[in-house]
Amino acid sequence: MTNFAQLFFDATSLGGLYAMAALGIALIFGVMNLVNFAHGEYIAFCVFALIVPSTDAVAVMFLGHAPALILIPVILALGGLVAVASEYAVFRHLRRADPVAMMIASFALGFVIRNALLAAYGGRPKAISLWPGLNMPVNIAGASVPLLQLIVIVTTLLVVTGLALLLKRTRIGLEMRAAAENFTMARLLGVRANRVITGAFALSGALAAAVALIMVTQTGVADVKMGGQIMLVAFIATVLGGLGSLPGAVAAGFLVGIVSVVLQAWLPLEARPFRDAFLYTLVIVCLLLRPQGLFVPASAKPRV
Amino acid sequence: MKRLALASAFAALAWPAMAEDITIGFAIAKSGWMEAYDTPAATAAKIRIYEINANGGLLGRQIKWVEADTKTDRQQSAKAGLQVIDEGADMMIVSCDYDFGAPAALSAEAEGMVSFFLCAEDVKAGIQGVGPHSFSGSVLAAVQGATMAEWSHARRGARTGYVLLDTTIEYNKGICSGFDWMFPRIDGTEIVGRDTFKNDDASIASQITRIKALPDEPDVIMLCSYIPGAASAVRQIRAAGINSLILNGSAVDGSYWLDATPDLSGFAVPVQGSIYGDDPRPEVEAFNQSYEKATGARPASSYAYPGYVLLDLWAKAVERAGSLDGASVTAELERMQGEPTAFGPRTFTADLHHQNFAEMQIVEITNGKPAVADNWTISQPVPLDVLLK
Repeated sequence: MTNFAQLFFDATSLGGLYAMAALGIALIFGVMNLVNFAHGEYIAFCVFALIVPSTDAVAVMFLGHAPALILIPVILALGGLVAVASEYAVFRHLRRADPVAMMIASFALGFVIRNALLAAYGGRPKAISLWPGLNMPVNIAGASVPLLQLIVIVTTLLVVTGLALLLKRTRIGLEMRAAAENFTMARLLGVRANRVITGAFALSGALAAAVALIMVTQTGVADVKMGGQIMLVAFIATVLGGLGSLPGAVAAGFLVGIVSVVLQAWLPLEARPFRDAFLYTLVIVCLLLRPQGLFVPASAKPRV
Repeated sequence: MKRLALASAFAALAWPAMAEDITIGFAIAKSGWMEAYDTPAATAAKIRIYEINANGGLLGRQIKWVEADTKTDRQQSAKAGLQVIDEGADMMIVSCDYDFGAPAALSAEAEGMVSFFLCAEDVKAGIQGVGPHSFSGSVLAAVQGATMAEWSHARRGARTGYVLLDTTIEYNKGICSGFDWMFPRIDGTEIVGRDTFKNDDASIASQITRIKALPDEPDVIMLCSYIPGAASAVRQIRAAGINSLILNGSAVDGSYWLDATPDLSGFAVPVQGSIYGDDPRPEVEAFNQSYEKATGARPASSYAYPGYVLLDLWAKAVERAGSLDGASVTAELERMQGEPTAFGPRTFTADLHHQNFAEMQIVEITNGKPAVADNWTISQPVPLDVLLK
């Protein structure tokens, strides 16, 4: 039973992190059919914003000095800002372009952000000690759980509930859902495209910032490549959940995280280095069985 | 001012080579993430060039260099190799890492030219992967793992070990294979468990759960990884309250990552020389000071040193061969048995262009402060079949 509780916390905290990243991608896909591959770079950008730009090996805290009550909103706003700025500078001009062109543009944007970080901070990973106390384990139901894991799980639940309320109860939420359903029709009915799209980018950027704060607290390092792996997992989760479906992205993000931890825990040692191969084989099987995604009604037409 | 003087001396050396000059071709990463690793080692090589030139040069000729940027890209690496050959290189120095250096080294090999990896620690970066004229300036990863196995048992009484392997790159597997070869050979020791992870895993919570499920905390954890994954793993292991002595390879030398785990204690790595000013050999500290004069800062990790060592050894071989010919220089290099350098003796043979045996300084981190705790030479060289595993 102890083992099960431990597994539960390990799995849901990783799942929560993936779910938040997947939600950031699904939000933008919903309103403009864009798979934003620069999302991983937003994460890296927010992490590097904590330290002073310099190519020296030792990192000096910059925004990271601020107390949590100030730091969290500032980093979330910064994430939102960089996403909105990239929409304004790049994606707004491509709104009539086909989705493939936009996707390539997002790759290019990611490349630009990554290389700007390389130029400003150098290629060597940096150490950042943000809130080390949060990694201290607490005992719950016989499992030893770092406080951060609990925070991740609770934050994910709050974010998902908050977003659900926003989408269901507010005007901008209604407009976003309408835009996700049928963008052209929504515009004909008076939904302001710029407002909806900017809102989606701001939310998506803030989610990237939240993922950044969690990752840096967990790992203690900043690396220009750090967004890559999580972006890939999040993208797979959005496809698995059904492109354009927000609850689907969240559920699939959780699922990918949970399966990954369970495989790590249960696979025999010889097979463990191939954990990701097993994970993605399962993804392929799921997509073969339900190409429209796991968490959309079977009646929904495939969107890609 | 001195820094400026040395910089301008470097700049003057980098002019296009004259016919009578010896030309060294650097096909290394001057941009992209690999740059942070290649530049320090290349700078160290240039310091040795500067010293040789100041002492009258090599074979009575001055050494100059040409450079081409691999941009941390395998395709660009091949192109950079060809470019420095076109510019008249007599010998080639390539990127630290096997994957990024090999394409350039292969173009040198095709010309029968001697090439040196700046700091590759995989046996493939040599005869076994590139060809008979390829060498590395560093010490094999397996030697580092074996050194930590023997040292931790002899000096810290380690009896139980746990192996945590980051499967991302070959270097990590090399460290763990050295540990796996040496540790069980020692009487009364046992490897009580093992696990794997990936360098960019967002969390290693389930790996930690497995360690905590052991009946007794292991005496040592052999972590085979590199930064950033290693720093992240150490942070998570210590946060979970696991106090075993953690061992790693040289890749995590340097104090720049220690903020990731404030007040870290009980973490040890083997290095070729200490960057912290406490190396027992005065030549090492003298080098650290020359490096500071040339660049304005001390080396950030011991990975600057192989650049200096390789140039020193190559120049000696050229002097003895009396020529720059690839085959003759290679033959002289292969005759080196315990050749003294500032960072310890080096040996090359016709089978191995790497160090499978070396004296290493053990740097231990205590309360967040790294310092040389000991030095250790493994009791026997790591055999070739372990290196090729």
